Amino acid sequence: MLRPITIAVFAAVIGLWWLAGHLGWVSAFLLPAPATVADTMGDLIASGELARHSLVSLRRVSLGYAFAITLAVPLALLFVLSRPLRATFEPLLEFLRQIPPLALMPLLMLWLGIGETQKIGIIVLSCFFPIFLGVRGGFAAVDRKLIDVGTVCGFARPEIMLRIVLPSALPAIVVGLRIGLGYSWRALVGAELIASSAGLGYMIVDAENLARTDIVLAGILVIGALGLAADLLLRLAIRTLAPWLAGDLEMARA
Amino acid sequence: MLELVGIGRRYRVDGGEVRALADIDLVLPKGSFTALVGRSGCGKTTLLRILAGLESPSEGEIRRPAQAGPLRIGVVFQEARLMPWLDVRGNVGFGLHGRLPRHETAARCTAALDLVGLSAFAGAMPGQLSGGMAQRVAIARALVLEPEVLLLDEPFAALDAFTRRAMQNELVGIWQRRKPTVVFVTHDVEEAVLLGERVLEMQAGRIVGRENIELPYPRDPTAPEANRYRRTILARLMADPAAARPEPAALS
Repeated sequence: MLRPITIAVFAAVIGLWWLAGHLGWVSAFLLPAPATVADTMGDLIASGELARHSLVSLRRVSLGYAFAITLAVPLALLFVLSRPLRATFEPLLEFLRQIPPLALMPLLMLWLGIGETQKIGIIVLSCFFPIFLGVRGGFAAVDRKLIDVGTVCGFARPEIMLRIVLPSALPAIVVGLRIGLGYSWRALVGAELIASSAGLGYMIVDAENLARTDIVLAGILVIGALGLAADLLLRLAIRTLAPWLAGDLEMARA
Repeated sequence: MLELVGIGRRYRVDGGEVRALADIDLVLPKGSFTALVGRSGCGKTTLLRILAGLESPSEGEIRRPAQAGPLRIGVVFQEARLMPWLDVRGNVGFGLHGRLPRHETAARCTAALDLVGLSAFAGAMPGQLSGGMAQRVAIARALVLEPEVLLLDEPFAALDAFTRRAMQNELVGIWQRRKPTVVFVTHDVEEAVLLGERVLEMQAGRIVGRENIELPYPRDPTAPEANRYRRTILARLMADPAAARPEPAALS
């Protein structure tokens, strides 16, 4: 998976970064050198601070993501099964979908405080729609011609659902899950930037207030790395559980 | 034996009504090979879908002798319609899954794959197959059901001429060995004459002509006798002015 060209690109970016400081293009305060950031990263790891903040963030994402799935999947299924429900609530959902979750932050803080509930709320809001739409779209796009095949084999409705409709819908569902995961991670860090006392987002803001740009950069790198790791993990799980979906996954780079 | 009595099918389209089938009276003797030929929109696919149980007739009924058990029907569509998440073997056994002991399903799949010449591709995924191979998988999927009635809807229309000819011969071979009652829908008169013991001509939802093809199998589509049949059938199908009217989109 890690091709030489990938390593070369990352190395080039780090090289450029180092060069920018070394040649004095930017001050060491605005852009600390790679070595400084690496040192800081080492300190953060040694002190356990990085692990602590990361775990807080990861816990929030896991809870929020799981909660969003348990909310979005059954709701989407209800929508799939009931045309009246669709007709009634579709416009409302379309309206809600247009609102960036972070724009709801002030209200969420008033309603839910600034504790874990509010963080998890933001995550649920941010990844609800990709998952919901993925499930809905997946079921809506099922090829009627494949259902005919089940009908002529004498399948009853539950068997058609389980053996034709569900596997057909799976690619879109998986894409929704993947996009949702990306959204939730980004929204979480945003939420932690605004009102928090722990988590990677908080770590960054706190460091900014102390003028520790090296910690800010270290935090940013960890956020990117953890997001990437989560995505890789999800893709690995799908590749193992549903290898025929590997191609569909590449559409989900949103 | 299957008997169709007064079968008709109407569709509601934009407030109006379109007649896709009318007054279809037809006897399908056990083990016979019937080719249904007509231009697109003539109702032949609708008739096949009714036979397959995918649609209900608006009027009329399908009768069969009061024997035990439901009729085993195998259907091959114009497209292979394979499940992209199953390999070739999984697709072939699709209709048997959970209905037979596992070893029997496996044995039947192996035999069917053998029959259509795809034993080497049992583990391939549908995306890796050519159109002809995919269609052979679809035929195997219908055959493992050991159907008493085999319904085919322009199954070779999307194949190149050489593959089509090979598959036509294979189909005749399978029919002669297993003797299911076959209904084969096509818009190609040559194909109908090549395959059918009897060719039914359809136009505007009705059976307007029938021709018994008194030629031994395997047939040569370029033989003068085959050409005579083609000329007769084609002349009748082209002559009817009713056929020239625009077809409603709902029919195909």
